[in-house]
Amino acid sequence: MPGLTEPFRSLTGSALEVQPVIDVRGVTKTFGETTALNNVSLTVARGEIVVLLGLSGSGKSTLLRHLDGLDRPDSGTVTVLGAAVSRLTGRPLRALRGQVGFVFQQFELVGSLTVLENVLTGALFQVRGPRLGLWGYRRALKLAALGLLDRVGLLTQAYQRADTLSGGQQQRVGISRALMQNPCILLADEPVASLDPESSDQVMALIREIALDQGLTVVCSLHQVDLALSWGDRIVGLRHGEVVLDTPAAGLSKAEVMEIYGRVATTTAEPGTIANELKTSAAVGVPVEETARSDLVDATWEPRR
Amino acid sequence: MTGTTVDLLDRVPRRRLSPEKIAAGLTLLALVLTSVVSLVGIDISIPQMIASWSNAQNFFERVGLISFPEPGELLHLTGLTVGLVLCGTLFAACISVPLAFLAAANTTPGRGWMVGGRFIGVLCRAVPDVVLAMVFVLMFSLGSLPGILAIGIHSIGMISKMFADAIEQIDEGPRLAIRAAGGSKLQEFAAGVLPQVLPSWVATVLHRNDINLRGSVILGYVGVVGLGLEMSYAFKSLNYSLGLGIALVIFALCVIMEIVSSAVRTMMLGTGPTGRGLDDRPLRRLSITGRRRTLATRAAPRQADARSRDLRRPWNAARRRTTAWGWAAALVVVGSVIISDIHWGDFATVWAYLPETAAKFWPPSFGSYDAPTMFSAMGETIAIALAATILTIIASIVIGSLAARNVAPNPRVRSGMRLFLVTIRGIPEIILAIVLIVVTGLGTQAGTIALAIGGVGLLGKLLADSLEEVKPGPEQALTAAGATRLQVYAGATAPQGMKALIGHSFYMLDTNIRAATILGLVGGGGVGYFLLNAGQGSRYDLVATIVLMILAAVLVIEGLAVWMRRVFR
Repeated sequence: MPGLTEPFRSLTGSALEVQPVIDVRGVTKTFGETTALNNVSLTVARGEIVVLLGLSGSGKSTLLRHLDGLDRPDSGTVTVLGAAVSRLTGRPLRALRGQVGFVFQQFELVGSLTVLENVLTGALFQVRGPRLGLWGYRRALKLAALGLLDRVGLLTQAYQRADTLSGGQQQRVGISRALMQNPCILLADEPVASLDPESSDQVMALIREIALDQGLTVVCSLHQVDLALSWGDRIVGLRHGEVVLDTPAAGLSKAEVMEIYGRVATTTAEPGTIANELKTSAAVGVPVEETARSDLVDATWEPRR
Repeated sequence: MTGTTVDLLDRVPRRRLSPEKIAAGLTLLALVLTSVVSLVGIDISIPQMIASWSNAQNFFERVGLISFPEPGELLHLTGLTVGLVLCGTLFAACISVPLAFLAAANTTPGRGWMVGGRFIGVLCRAVPDVVLAMVFVLMFSLGSLPGILAIGIHSIGMISKMFADAIEQIDEGPRLAIRAAGGSKLQEFAAGVLPQVLPSWVATVLHRNDINLRGSVILGYVGVVGLGLEMSYAFKSLNYSLGLGIALVIFALCVIMEIVSSAVRTMMLGTGPTGRGLDDRPLRRLSITGRRRTLATRAAPRQADARSRDLRRPWNAARRRTTAWGWAAALVVVGSVIISDIHWGDFATVWAYLPETAAKFWPPSFGSYDAPTMFSAMGETIAIALAATILTIIASIVIGSLAARNVAPNPRVRSGMRLFLVTIRGIPEIILAIVLIVVTGLGTQAGTIALAIGGVGLLGKLLADSLEEVKPGPEQALTAAGATRLQVYAGATAPQGMKALIGHSFYMLDTNIRAATILGLVGGGGVGYFLLNAGQGSRYDLVATIVLMILAAVLVIEGLAVWMRRVFR
């Protein structure tokens, strides 16, 4: 793979081809009293396209953040590209992060900078020292960035401010920024949750096309079951921080996948259950999704196993 | 490959900058260059400073031991100073509420009202409180009233602007809901606007009160009672040991007030004193505390509901604490009114003096000086302000960045820098200037350094707060891409904080022009010297001229600031 930095070129060689690129073992993570991940294990092979499904608060984002060393597990190990992410710090950690592209739900672009400048920040690991705007990037990097923008169909917007673009366009800039790293792995945290259906389809198609093209390993969390089934190779379902489903997408029916959300469906009619909680909360003006996310609902209403 | 490269470059649109942006950029560049030239012109040379150190030694030998006024006297003076500052700030806050209502784009009854409201604010801000005090000392019998009114009217400028800005930043949803439910305009304001802006308003008033306390020192130089007056007497009679003693008391008072107001902010708003500041952002704090409060209280009432259906809010710990603080605040207000010993009768008699006083100021003239002398004096004041501002900006970028949670390499550095900023902020610039001038014997240089140091306390804090409030997402995105701390700072934090830096810097310049004038009163050079002379020599037509020049300078800067903020969104 071109553009790989020295420390990992060896790791991605033939010796590791058979090993999984992502290996999560028994990872538990708590935030205060909320258990975000509970003894999660997951392995992903090179080139796989994995979709994480689950309710808000089920641990999808936390799992993805662990894969990039943005969060650290309380217990268990996370191994990515042969490196123990949970134990890395400093430059080795940044070297690993350089190999792993991350696409965010809210795009996370710097709105006041141009599209091109935003894409170039993906190459920061490949240069030394800080960069202001376009200053100091090699011509080759600028050309590469323009090439990526061409690829996602935004070449003509290269010098526009990022915050003047539509949501779908901004996410395509976010993808370009991640690809600017020349990653082996692409992580995407609900990349289309803030987009309208049409832009969603375009963005998801783009990710898949590029992933297949460059042989990227992709782990992507999604909300939409239909989209997940048609898009991913493999579906991993999370509930309350535990893996409750892990199966190839092919041949899977929507009903089977809905089991992940099953508890909600079966208990809506009973009094004092989540449906009532949601209603009361909505009545006092608390957004429904926030309530669903609060540990109060998760912890008190669902009987613990 | 080259073929596709050429093809790619052919298809990329040229980077186009709007003419306005170029013009604004050039103006900014010109301002920076002028500042650097001013800085060089003022000739702050380290060798000279060191050479003047012998002055300092002489000085301290002459001072001997620092002395203080009698304890009873000191207590009375301190109470008087704090009391009149509080009264002045509260007066300004009361006037600012309706003014802000008129001046905020979303509550104003009409565009004319809005422009008018904003203009009154600018006018109040542009006239230095010293000048107002001079006028009021003339109109009222000696006492606290001139000080209160001077502080009050001048503060309306800043407070009404910040109040209005806070109103403009509210979430329109609740207001819309109240209107949709058939609420009146006043109900909309009371139930939809007020609860949202109150925390930021409180923060603004407390912040202004700190500024006013520091500013009250200089009012003593034009005859407003309190610690400042005693200090000016002491320095004028060359009783340096007493003068420095009082200066020390004022410094301690400022630091205590800063700590008290931080504590009050924390109590009332439920967030730490750091992380927010002046500027228009205190509102973000509101949303954070608001959310935290609902989360905290949501669980409790749900259980309480089942037991009792009491219509009254329960007297829980939080409510008892809030009420106690409310009463304490009310007592402080009443106490400060009593201790200020306001001569209410003056309000009845003052009107008789009004025409007479006004006539003294009009028409403005250059008095016994010629126009070029006055313009060059004004030029010197502007040069001091520019030089001090550029020094402040450079130091603040470093210190302010390190004081921001998301930039500091570790929490210890951050708290160290924050402590440093609070300490500097506690020192009234004027005291620093007086001490520097007395010690080194250098006027303009000492004034510039005093302003620059004082400025770091404010700008550094504002910048740190703004940096802490940038969106964390882009920073995280760069971290996730393997960028270093410095790269994240340059690539995500700094670009997001740029607009705030420009805004704060112009605010600093605006403050410094007035402060540079005031420095002249104590021998810091520039137009302030003429202002003091004119005031003492009862040449009010000259005072009017000087005020108009300051007004013009401040308005130009205000205009530039508005323009820059619009262009560099």
